[in-house]
Amino acid sequence: MWGFIYVGAFIAAFAVSAVIKLTYNPLGDKYSMHWDDSVGTVYSDLSYNEGAANKFDLYVPSDSGKENYGLVVYLHAGGFTSGDKADDVEMLQWLCSKGYVAAGINYTLFSEEHPQANVYTQSMEIRDSIPFVLEEAEKLGYHIDRMAMSGGSAGHCLAMLYAYRDAAASPVPVKMVFGAVGPSCFYLEDWINMGCDPKHPISVDSDTDYSGMAGLFSVMAGRAITNNMLMNGAYLDEVKDISAAMWVDENSVPSVFAYGAWDRAQAFSASKRLDAALTEHGVPHEYIVFEHSGHGLQNDNSQYAQFMVKVTEYLEKYLGT
Amino acid sequence: MTLTQKRLIVLTAVILAAAISGRLAVRGFMNLLLGGTMFGGNFL
Repeated sequence: MWGFIYVGAFIAAFAVSAVIKLTYNPLGDKYSMHWDDSVGTVYSDLSYNEGAANKFDLYVPSDSGKENYGLVVYLHAGGFTSGDKADDVEMLQWLCSKGYVAAGINYTLFSEEHPQANVYTQSMEIRDSIPFVLEEAEKLGYHIDRMAMSGGSAGHCLAMLYAYRDAAASPVPVKMVFGAVGPSCFYLEDWINMGCDPKHPISVDSDTDYSGMAGLFSVMAGRAITNNMLMNGAYLDEVKDISAAMWVDENSVPSVFAYGAWDRAQAFSASKRLDAALTEHGVPHEYIVFEHSGHGLQNDNSQYAQFMVKVTEYLEKYLGT
Repeated sequence: MTLTQKRLIVLTAVILAAAISGRLAVRGFMNLLLGGTMFGGNFL
């Protein structure tokens, strides 16, 4: 009988432990709240452009008495192929509770239905959506005079593209950008090390066929990139429009970003280039590395808390309240 | 030490081992999907 008890206890303890590990929120309730009319109101599925995916949700704070408001755009994750603005409800509600107008914007995802969608077309959709977001906020009585871009993973990539590449043409000034694990640039030597031990990177080998990587870059950029172009460096011109780090200059906005050193979904080394570019041009920024984590930033809770503290600090300092 | 006491000690050890294994299994699976190390950072 005790044998059965031991086996049963092992299975139960194993399952409970696994569930606790999966469901534990390292930040607790610090960045979430009970959402109701006293906090704000959400207007869902507002349209921009003609595409079926060209929708956004607008979260406006209950305090509508200010002369001007800051807008925070948060773009969803999903590898440019999946995800939805509804995935970020907690983040958008939290931003709104801080007194900002918050917007979650969908974009056309790469799929069988939309094979022409790519990172560049998605970044153009985000650029095109901003005037619609501002207009809708104005209609509701919230005048936007400044904004911040943010997002997770693919959304972080698109947020950075707007902040570093398109900010000069933005209808309202972009004050900062924050996000996590978004691809910031596409150098072959970074991407062949994706998911590898960050302390022991491998070098590009001219005898190796990198056609697979050329195909990946082609799909993401929406341009034909060949193995030869990877070898002679010509591909860098083709990926510039989707490489936020390549647009950083002395006018770039303050930034907070987090990356996992063992990321298997995008190249961690690319984030070092972003850090270096911002440092070189004297742009205020916080680069938080999760030394034991991958794309989910899942193994470094103390770093996660630090990231959110810095995001809060930067929002207060650069976007105001 | 009675036989029951010995069995309870074994049971405690089994539960402890299972709890650690459960956390490590989740961490290992997540690392497999997303990347990451088995140790360091968070407790297990």
